[in-house]
Amino acid sequence: MAAPFTLRKIGVPPNSANLTEARRRVFDFFRASCRSIPTIMDIYNLQDVVAPSQLRFAISAQIRNNAHITDPKVIDLLLFKGMEELTDIVDHAKQRHHIIGQYVVGEGLVQNTGSKDQGKSDFLKNFYTSNYF
Amino acid sequence: MASLSTTSLTFKAPTTRASQVLRKASSIQSISFGRFQSSKSLRLQICCAAKAETVQKVSDIVKEQLALSADTALTAESKFSALGADSLDTVEIVMALEEKFNISVEEADAQNITTIQEAADLIEDLVQKKPAAEAA
Repeated sequence: MAAPFTLRKIGVPPNSANLTEARRRVFDFFRASCRSIPTIMDIYNLQDVVAPSQLRFAISAQIRNNAHITDPKVIDLLLFKGMEELTDIVDHAKQRHHIIGQYVVGEGLVQNTGSKDQGKSDFLKNFYTSNYF
Repeated sequence: MASLSTTSLTFKAPTTRASQVLRKASSIQSISFGRFQSSKSLRLQICCAAKAETVQKVSDIVKEQLALSADTALTAESKFSALGADSLDTVEIVMALEEKFNISVEEADAQNITTIQEAADLIEDLVQKKPAAEAA
């Protein structure tokens, strides 16, 4: 078994100088979070609910969501928030239903097929997403 | 004490391996030393070719990650970028390989992976080094 990965809490590092360094930090964050996945599955007993590859996909989907951003400072802030979220999860400051609701079942990850209304009304389906459709 | 001196006298001209057996309590050390040598020479014979099953496993993971259809032809030389993977996909593939083979890829090594063959070679390398490190 490879040496177990522990999340080291460093203070806030200075801003990244350019996009390349911001990119490198994004990948480091992604690697750190993927390496924490076994710990997370252990803490919240997710072994029967989700596979590690699905969690990796969820994390990468969130990163891809913000892939269009080019300002290094904005990227740093997003990484800071991401790191905060990861630290909370690894510290067991969240609960199982938070993890399942936010990263397992959700919009577009694993659709909850036992929904109440199978979909008669387009109006209601779009109601939560926006006013204008 | 007397018995120890007699045993050292009988093995008057020992090889370094045998003397290690005498000095250290566990003989496992020397055995792993010997095994490491033979596996290293075996690797020199195979040279740059990783095992076919490793390449196959890597291809399966890549297909799953990039959501390619099952009959896409994946040679060992296909580049990840040619298959439609961006840099985040490459990192994700490396993480999936880490999990599957139970290894730990350093960042510097991960930068150089662009084709399936390179990934398989790196995995072989790390899997070789791991049992030697664990035995020591």
